[in-house]
Amino acid sequence: MRLLTIATSLAALIAASPLSAQTLNVASAGDQNMVDYVKDYLGPMFEKAHPGVKVVSVGTGPGDAGSQKIYEKLDAQKGSATTDFDVVVIHQKAAGLMVKEGLLSKYTADVDTAKLATGDAARNALGTDVSGYVIPMFQSQTALAYNADMVKTPPATFAELADWAKKNPKQFGYNGIKGGMSGVAFVAGWVYAFGGDADKLMKGPYDAATKANWDKAFAELKAFNANATITPGNAGTLDMLNRGEIAIGPVWVDMFYSWQADGKLPPNMKLKLVSPGMPGQPMYYSIPEKSAQKKLAEAFIALATSPQVQADGIVKKFNWYPGIDAKNLEGKLDKAAWDKLFTDVTPAELASNGKPFPIAPYFNDILEGYEKKVAN
Amino acid sequence: MSISQRQLALLLVAPGLALVAALFLYPLSFSLISAFTRPQGGISLDAFRKAWELYSSDMLFTVVIVLASCLFTGLAAIIIAGTLTLGENRWIVGTLKALYRWPLFIPFIVAAQCMRTFLAKNGLMNNSFVAMGLMEPLQAVSFLDWRGIIATFVWKQTPFVALLLAGALAALDRATLEAGRNLGATRLRVLVELALPQVMPQLLVALVLSFVTMLSVLSVPMMVAGSQPTMLTVDMAFRINAYGDYATANALGVVTYLLSAGAAIIYLKRGMAKEGAT
Repeated sequence: MRLLTIATSLAALIAASPLSAQTLNVASAGDQNMVDYVKDYLGPMFEKAHPGVKVVSVGTGPGDAGSQKIYEKLDAQKGSATTDFDVVVIHQKAAGLMVKEGLLSKYTADVDTAKLATGDAARNALGTDVSGYVIPMFQSQTALAYNADMVKTPPATFAELADWAKKNPKQFGYNGIKGGMSGVAFVAGWVYAFGGDADKLMKGPYDAATKANWDKAFAELKAFNANATITPGNAGTLDMLNRGEIAIGPVWVDMFYSWQADGKLPPNMKLKLVSPGMPGQPMYYSIPEKSAQKKLAEAFIALATSPQVQADGIVKKFNWYPGIDAKNLEGKLDKAAWDKLFTDVTPAELASNGKPFPIAPYFNDILEGYEKKVAN
Repeated sequence: MSISQRQLALLLVAPGLALVAALFLYPLSFSLISAFTRPQGGISLDAFRKAWELYSSDMLFTVVIVLASCLFTGLAAIIIAGTLTLGENRWIVGTLKALYRWPLFIPFIVAAQCMRTFLAKNGLMNNSFVAMGLMEPLQAVSFLDWRGIIATFVWKQTPFVALLLAGALAALDRATLEAGRNLGATRLRVLVELALPQVMPQLLVALVLSFVTMLSVLSVPMMVAGSQPTMLTVDMAFRINAYGDYATANALGVVTYLLSAGAAIIYLKRGMAKEGAT
């Protein structure tokens, strides 16, 4: 009798559980703000619209290393029936690799909002064709942040910056290439400025001999580093700017505005997008090929890339440039919020000096060249 | 069937041996193989060549940092243990005794986080100096570089070495020390010329263990200092996290094994000498 009771209650439990046990696992590469975006903003909104669904947000770490971890997980689970992640938020370099290796699902035809993102970033990830596999979550941009009290006329080009750093030793700080993408972007910008044909690095075709032309640029960067402060990360650079320990440093524009809005940076901080340009990048929403919850994942991404969420969450709350085309946000956003994005970096500057990262093979060559010739 | 004494002994150590084999020897040989082979297969030293090309200065940096930390740890531990054993002011000895072990219970990562705010240019330490009027704000410099790493290591490892050393000093025959005092030697001289030579083996063992511990810490160099130059642990983590490049990371691992093997040899030699003596 007792056994029967236990058995029936167990059966009832099992029968009842699927209703509440639907979990959508969202893995985000990037800094803490990316994880917070899903955990505090998007997740609760999606849970409200889909009762019984629980959104679990995990962060895999800043920079390409974070995307690399997602890649390794999906690659390791290639042979199993399902993967642990249902939605992944990844960088461009990893997106290209994952598409090539068949780890991502070609899902955008099933998501209406995909039509709203028509920019180059929706199709091309550092030289790999990713159309159908990704929808940009947002675009972001790096720029130099400076303390307007300490620097009256900020350098306008990389060459001027090099001069300035020589005259003001240890007042420029960046995080090298191991502590997040703002330092990586600075190094890529340096090679664009001093390494020769920047266009070829961004558009290809790849030629393994090109890297030999960067020796001089790297040697100059090594000399430049002697006068620079190396900070412990993207947030580390902002921290040191905040404490007045450095006067100029490369930062992500969105983090800069968010920190300023939170009062973690003084109001006398400004941004400058120096020429010939610094890289920016989108983050992508993708669905792993083996996701167990494809329909739910598609619904999640559809919500995330809808004009209203892009306006309220991406632009207004987190200060990113929208992932879908800007014209779709008309009417969803007041002008003040939109203009805030362009306080220091004007749309014209963004158009001329906002560059993509180099195509993946050049990108790897630059990073390895930096470790070999600058850091060592 | 009866089991002989010998077989029983083997049976008893078997679980321990199996644990060492499964959790240490197997991964060790796996990483050794990966360090010495190409991704396509075939034995090569490519990974070592790359590790040297990219990280030779970090290897030197690591050795210098760890050796310097050992040196300062040893000095600080001698001062603390010496004071505990030979100190005559009860108040100082009591306070020191109560305080010096605390860092033992604080994890490296917490220590690193504290140092980050303590040693920064406008951090707690410099701000306190400025507030006390000892320093002008403009003179403040950040210690968040190699000096910060050494400071964190020394702070964290000193209690461990001091604990072992104080134990060894307490076990010494007080008569020899008191004889020295009676003949008019200062306490410093008693410590340096009478006490320390007798506890050298224990001090050396404690320092060797600290050496190996510091060699393997990832959080402190990552959090306290920027990435150039940095310690090998950070480079290993970067190779794996950013590129999935296990071969180079394992080559760096082999370099670390060799460094700690040097320390281990000293440790084992001491152990052997001791067993031979008893």
